[in-house]
Amino acid sequence: MCRGLIKSAPALSITPLSRSSTTSEETAPPLLELEFETDNHIVETKRLGKEFGALVAVANVSIKVQPNTIHAIIGPNGAGKTTFFNLLSGNLPPSQGRVFYKGRDITHLPLHRTAHLGIGRSFQITNIFPSLTVLENIRLACQALGRGNFRFMRSHKYFKAFEERAWEVIHQVMLEKEALLPARALSHGGQRKLELGIILAADPEVLLLDEPTAGMAAEQVPELINLIREVQQTGNKTVMLVEHNMNVVMSISDYITVMHQGQVLAEGTPAEIAANKVVQGAYLGQLYTDLKVN
Amino acid sequence: MEKSLPSPTTQNPFSAFIKNNRGVLITILCLLLLPFALALVDGQPISSVLANDPGQSKFYQGLAIEIFILAIFALSYDLLFGITGLLSFGHAMFFGVGAYLTGIMLKSFGWGILPILCLVFVAGVIMALLFSVVLPRVKGITFALVTLGLAQVFYIVIQSRELADYAGAEIGLQGVTPPDFLNPISQRLRVYYLGLVVLFLVYFFYKRFVDSPTGHVCVAIRENEDRATMLGFNTFYFKLVALIISAITAALAGAMHGLFSPIIRPGIASSHYTIAALLMVLMGGIGTLDGALIGAATFRLLSFWLEKWFGGASQVIIGLVYILLVLFLPYGIVGTWRSRQLQIKQGWSNLISRFTGKRESV
Repeated sequence: MCRGLIKSAPALSITPLSRSSTTSEETAPPLLELEFETDNHIVETKRLGKEFGALVAVANVSIKVQPNTIHAIIGPNGAGKTTFFNLLSGNLPPSQGRVFYKGRDITHLPLHRTAHLGIGRSFQITNIFPSLTVLENIRLACQALGRGNFRFMRSHKYFKAFEERAWEVIHQVMLEKEALLPARALSHGGQRKLELGIILAADPEVLLLDEPTAGMAAEQVPELINLIREVQQTGNKTVMLVEHNMNVVMSISDYITVMHQGQVLAEGTPAEIAANKVVQGAYLGQLYTDLKVN
Repeated sequence: MEKSLPSPTTQNPFSAFIKNNRGVLITILCLLLLPFALALVDGQPISSVLANDPGQSKFYQGLAIEIFILAIFALSYDLLFGITGLLSFGHAMFFGVGAYLTGIMLKSFGWGILPILCLVFVAGVIMALLFSVVLPRVKGITFALVTLGLAQVFYIVIQSRELADYAGAEIGLQGVTPPDFLNPISQRLRVYYLGLVVLFLVYFFYKRFVDSPTGHVCVAIRENEDRATMLGFNTFYFKLVALIISAITAALAGAMHGLFSPIIRPGIASSHYTIAALLMVLMGGIGTLDGALIGAATFRLLSFWLEKWFGGASQVIIGLVYILLVLFLPYGIVGTWRSRQLQIKQGWSNLISRFTGKRESV
């Protein structure tokens, strides 16, 4: 089953549909599959690159993301994962290349527009409204895509729909007890859940999660992972995540892209990536050397 | 688990309003009765207050009108700085434009009050739009400095020799005669009540604004602008709305100043006056609105009484008081009170439960 896909090999641009159907794909004519896929990609990047002066953070990254999957991006520190995410979400303008969302070019879209298209993004460093309550945090997120933002002579209490939706989301991310506390009073894990809630409130089709479990206590991680899994399955959402925790990546992703020094090193299902010698060399190998140093 | 949402109040909005604003309504009532109370303390008959006879009551009414104007000014600064998080050092320009426009239009052109108010309104919007040119480009301290620059230009222009016929150069605009029905000398009590009404209309308008969806987004921008953008808010428009409302209010306060004070000095357009607004907001509590009112009252009364008691040394003592306030009330008077409220409540309930517990055991 060693089908670890190295970028330069011709078969590699073909994205397996799902874990179960991978075997049948190899025999099918590639052209047909390509046609089928281009119709179906929710997020696609074409030769995306970013340079900071002489430093090439991301170079020529072309990936295709299938809808309704969990697509993980892994790689050693400094591989350019977060920069790549920033390019995807529009937080950074790319030096070259394009980003497509449902076939539409969103490369130079203003930042506040991407949320309206259905892309929600979380950050490596928790990004919430610290002195507002959990409820207010989430209600603001509900409000962002609704109407009536400029009706400044009406109390927010008249906007019941936002409030109700906010409570729905609070139940979903299991923060009912903390709902009326200021966000800064929450534990780190709670804040990560809140940030997920903020993203979910807008009911996006694509969730970009940058290290959702970063800094969380080990016992809280499975809870959050189950939550992400559940959200993805019940809401038919596409999740892209950057993650360092290999257990998490291997257990929840449908598809993995490995980045190394700003480039795509390999793509494939978790099993393929685990078996890929090049990945082992670049990623796990580095881990082993890290261990030796320590 | 079911929703733990506090059930929406089913009582009628009027009684809910009274319940939510009890403190403010009591304050308004006290201020309504204040001129008469002062007269009684001074030993004057109530009829003398109605007749605007000179005396302690009339003097303090004048002081109170100054406080009302300052409070409106401080409120407008609180909306910009405390609620939306835009630090502007050019806020006095709005106030100055309102005051000078009113004075010039009254003195040199003989306009009526209503057209002047409309003009001030339009001027406020135009100035806000002028500030908004730099709004999306600069943030934080840079915005503060750009606004300072703009305001200083106005400050210099208003003192120029070329405009001396209208604006009175360095001395200030003198000889403005407000219409008889608003004359601060002969109709002091009426002006007092008018100031009170305008102040609390602005206050309740601001309260409602902060409570509205737009106000919530403004708070979100103060808290974390990047996050607000990522949620899908075009933050520029929200900042612009706050800026326009704030500018109009400050210009309105300026217009009232122009009507009330015998001489409009150029100092009201200088950065000192912006700092005064900042100080009032800081003393009262940033982003609380109530704090702006209390801060303005504290600011004016402190400088009045300290000057009365200590004369020339008062500036030093005022400085000391500010230092003490910042040391012991870091979130301002209202801010600290609110954050301590829970502790105070808990302390009381502890005390009561201990007391009742003892009685039960006996």
